[in-house]
Amino acid sequence: MDDWGTLLAEANSGDSRAYAAFLRTITPVLRGVVRAKAGGLGEAICEDVLQEVLLAVHLKRHTWQVGAPVRPWLYAIARYKVVDAFRSRGGKVEVPIEDFDEILAAEAGPDPTEAADMAKMIGLLDDRSGRLVRMIGIEGSSVAEAGQALNMTEGAVRVALHRAFKTLAALRERHLK
Amino acid sequence: MKTENLIVALAADSRTEPPLRAFLWPALALALAMAVLVVLVSLGFRDDLLASLGEPFSVMRFVLTAALGVLGVRLALVLARPEGRSLARLWPVALPVLAALGLLVWAYVSTPAEGRQMALVGKTMTTCLVMIPLLSVLPVAAILMSLHKGATTTPALAGFAAGLGGSGLAAMAYAMHCIEDSPLFYVTWYGLAIAGVTLVSTLIGARILRW
Repeated sequence: MDDWGTLLAEANSGDSRAYAAFLRTITPVLRGVVRAKAGGLGEAICEDVLQEVLLAVHLKRHTWQVGAPVRPWLYAIARYKVVDAFRSRGGKVEVPIEDFDEILAAEAGPDPTEAADMAKMIGLLDDRSGRLVRMIGIEGSSVAEAGQALNMTEGAVRVALHRAFKTLAALRERHLK
Repeated sequence: MKTENLIVALAADSRTEPPLRAFLWPALALALAMAVLVVLVSLGFRDDLLASLGEPFSVMRFVLTAALGVLGVRLALVLARPEGRSLARLWPVALPVLAALGLLVWAYVSTPAEGRQMALVGKTMTTCLVMIPLLSVLPVAAILMSLHKGATTTPALAGFAAGLGGSGLAAMAYAMHCIEDSPLFYVTWYGLAIAGVTLVSTLIGARILRW
């Protein structure tokens, strides 16, 4: 198993530090994939698509089998979501899966692009879920702190957070189609 | 929202869904048990069920339907993974189909011309064409629901696999009742029922297995 596999296996068994490391490792690679396929659409839209791919990876990470190579799994998700994302934006891209190995990772740059879609979708969540995602993601609160602020137990925060991401993916489907 | 903020939020969500098999196996076992129970209660097993297992033509009904069922479910499990599209092999599914067609030809040749019509139509064609699709509903639904929890990148093909697997298993349950032992009958009508269910499941898969 390679380093990605080790990280993802730890992540799937509940290690959120390993999971964050995994997401930070794959993000530049996925950004490279998205830009290579649709750089013409502009950086902001590419960043939107990248975030859609990350959300999909998040919600489908249980479909990775421990021991299986991570890259084919990840690229298959990326391919599916990139094609989907651009189709729903009226464009069309061909994304041959073989090409992904030669793609260079792309860093976000000194002033990371602010993607608009995800914020819009978070705005469509119910108030408490929206606040939860923003507190943890943007304000950097821990699950415990968010729980205190919203008067929820840690367990309830985790359940609500998980549900919020599922809802975000569903909202995105409905919104773009 | 910056991507880094999203990553921080995603990483805080440590709940993972259970692996697919944890849902599929119990659901499929239950669906299959229900199908067998429905056959037993509504139609009854054929009286000579055990003895019929010694008849090569008769036992082939179980062998062929079980093969389609197992291969369909296996294909569905592979296709449930995002990368399954490039891992899946379709040719094994063709083997029982070819075997069935071979059997059909063999039965046609070896059945006297005046008996063919009777062997083909049999006595229970309608029951067969109604019951196999009905019995397929739960097994196909169980497989489609597992696929829905997975992440197939080829929804129509995954729906096809679910239909084939589920209706193959349903036809196997139906064979416990069915007394028609001529391949002219069962290859034709079981085949038609399985093909119909598989077609419908393919169309359903193409719609509901997107994510």
